[in-house]
Amino acid sequence: MKLTTKQLTLCAVLTALALALSYVENFLPLFLVIPLPGIKLGLANIVTVFALYALGPTQALLILIARCSLGAVFAGNLNALLFSLLGGLSAMVTMIFLSRWSRLSIYGVSMGGAAAHNCGQVAAALISLGNTAPLAYLPVLLTVSLFTGALTGYLSSLLFRALGHTNLMKQ
Amino acid sequence: MKSSVKLTPTRWDALVAAVILLLALVCGGGYWVHTLSAGDVLTAVVSVDGRATDRVSLNALSGTETRSYSNNGYTVSVAFSAGAVRVVESDCPNQDCVHTGAVSGAGRSIVCLPARISIQLTGSAVSGGPDVIIG
Repeated sequence: MKLTTKQLTLCAVLTALALALSYVENFLPLFLVIPLPGIKLGLANIVTVFALYALGPTQALLILIARCSLGAVFAGNLNALLFSLLGGLSAMVTMIFLSRWSRLSIYGVSMGGAAAHNCGQVAAALISLGNTAPLAYLPVLLTVSLFTGALTGYLSSLLFRALGHTNLMKQ
Repeated sequence: MKSSVKLTPTRWDALVAAVILLLALVCGGGYWVHTLSAGDVLTAVVSVDGRATDRVSLNALSGTETRSYSNNGYTVSVAFSAGAVRVVESDCPNQDCVHTGAVSGAGRSIVCLPARISIQLTGSAVSGGPDVIIG
């Protein structure tokens, strides 16, 4: 696979944006509303959704792997890599699959991605803890993913509308 | 754009949402039945690094009993009371276990990922009932 300078630059900018979004959302006290371990809005998913549609699955995957790896390095926690990679890759595979179904909008794709992300993270927690306790969170996390997925879908749609008239995405 | 993107919700999105909700219900129901089958007495099972290290029968408690568990460099203090359990203190960085608050009823659990400690409530919340009703 060969990337043009423009594509490479765009991938780097989007990776930085995804990292910044995942850092910023740590300051949103979502756990006060829903007290569950690992509950997040998944704002970095906006970047994944955007990259998937605007750049294609390969580059979206590259951005995701770079984001997860750098995120774990910055957090200084190898365990975080397992959680973000399992969650991120589950979401990515699901969204690649769903985005090929032309009847779905960005909302459906995003909700599917959010649900898959939570499944991946619960799987990481199962591996990390070595027992079935994290499964108790899955029903609530899946229900919450409907709202967080719809929110990131809405924000992604705003992004596409805002950039629709630019030539930024023309390869 | 590599592929066309629909920006307004369609009825097919509702199907995705319905499938996710169904999955949530199936997982919740399955897990609840699984924990109920563990016995008649509501028991808090504390697991450290995946191994069940402590079992506290919650039906028999009259007051509050606090126990501490240490693992992976962190210490978690757990308060057991009649029918409920909560993490009162932990020195883990994200405090998710403390924010979870008190949980009661079979199937509920508290997880502290940094300490790799979990507390699962198993068995039935109802105690003292008949084992079998015949005729």
